[in-house]
Amino acid sequence: MLFFSYFKDLMGREVTVELKNDLAIRGTLHSVDQYLNIKLENTRVVDQDKYPHMLSVRNCFIRGSVVRYVQLPPDGVDIELLHDATRREARGG
Amino acid sequence: MAVGLRHFTARAGNGVGEPILDTDNGEELVHVQPSVSVAVGNRASESLGTLYITTRQVIWLSELDREKGYAVDFLSLSLHAVSRDPEAYPSPCIYTQIETEADEVEDESEDSDSECSEVLDLSKIREMRFIPSDANQLDTLFQVFCECAELNPEPIEEGEEEGHNWIFSADQLEDEAGAGDDVEWHFSQNPTNTIGHSNGHHDLASSVLELQINDQRFEDAEEMEQDADTGHHHQSQQ
Repeated sequence: MLFFSYFKDLMGREVTVELKNDLAIRGTLHSVDQYLNIKLENTRVVDQDKYPHMLSVRNCFIRGSVVRYVQLPPDGVDIELLHDATRREARGG
Repeated sequence: MAVGLRHFTARAGNGVGEPILDTDNGEELVHVQPSVSVAVGNRASESLGTLYITTRQVIWLSELDREKGYAVDFLSLSLHAVSRDPEAYPSPCIYTQIETEADEVEDESEDSDSECSEVLDLSKIREMRFIPSDANQLDTLFQVFCECAELNPEPIEEGEEEGHNWIFSADQLEDEAGAGDDVEWHFSQNPTNTIGHSNGHHDLASSVLELQINDQRFEDAEEMEQDADTGHHHQSQQ
């Protein structure tokens, strides 16, 4: 549940979600659930060539299983903290 | 459970013609929205239908053509959104993206949505819009889509629950045997020269463990010269 907790702290921040089909969507992180389903607000497509119909969409729900990356604001990332936390979680500690 | 968009024709025989659901396995109807048009891929919208949202899937049934209907599992809906931008689409609608079989196998040769073909191949459709005649219903529909999507996380296969046998760092090997700071080995391809003992019946894993336990082959080179039986290749790390 590490990243679930982590994303909850990033609510309201601007993120870019890259899907496995290469689509990248930028928006404000509205909410996240335990499956890492992501709801974004005020979204816009980063690269409009592939999906021009998605120019701007107010609210969007992205299935957790189709997310490839979530790009985070640099000041929203404490690398040392994440490193330690993920290591502990991986060991089951 | 099918991936992607598919035809749906299983309607109850009564006058209403509601879709037949998999109630034996717990599928329930969550929301019904009449007067909804649907636009499949890049095709023109098809009017006058009813949208049925269940705990497992989204079904649209045409009112004009009792043989026509579409359905897609929530497991295949990559995303859904409220679209109100007239430049994106003339009518406010729920926009959805559908994961197709082609996505799963990453087939690069696929065209985007099949369009204008007489025989519509639904399995290649990647986008779909639901256009309610009452635009005020959009937010409700969006919410229902969210709630039902959350009911359909990726299924967990039996094997995955046992946990991984992943190694994350050299430190983990401490629990099993004393590990040095730099432990990289080159394994001889010659099975008669197995590391450790000479009977040659050890599998690689146990050979590795044995190597970690104070194996004299890690001693300095001068000492190794004394061991004349060493027919084994030992390459130091690069």
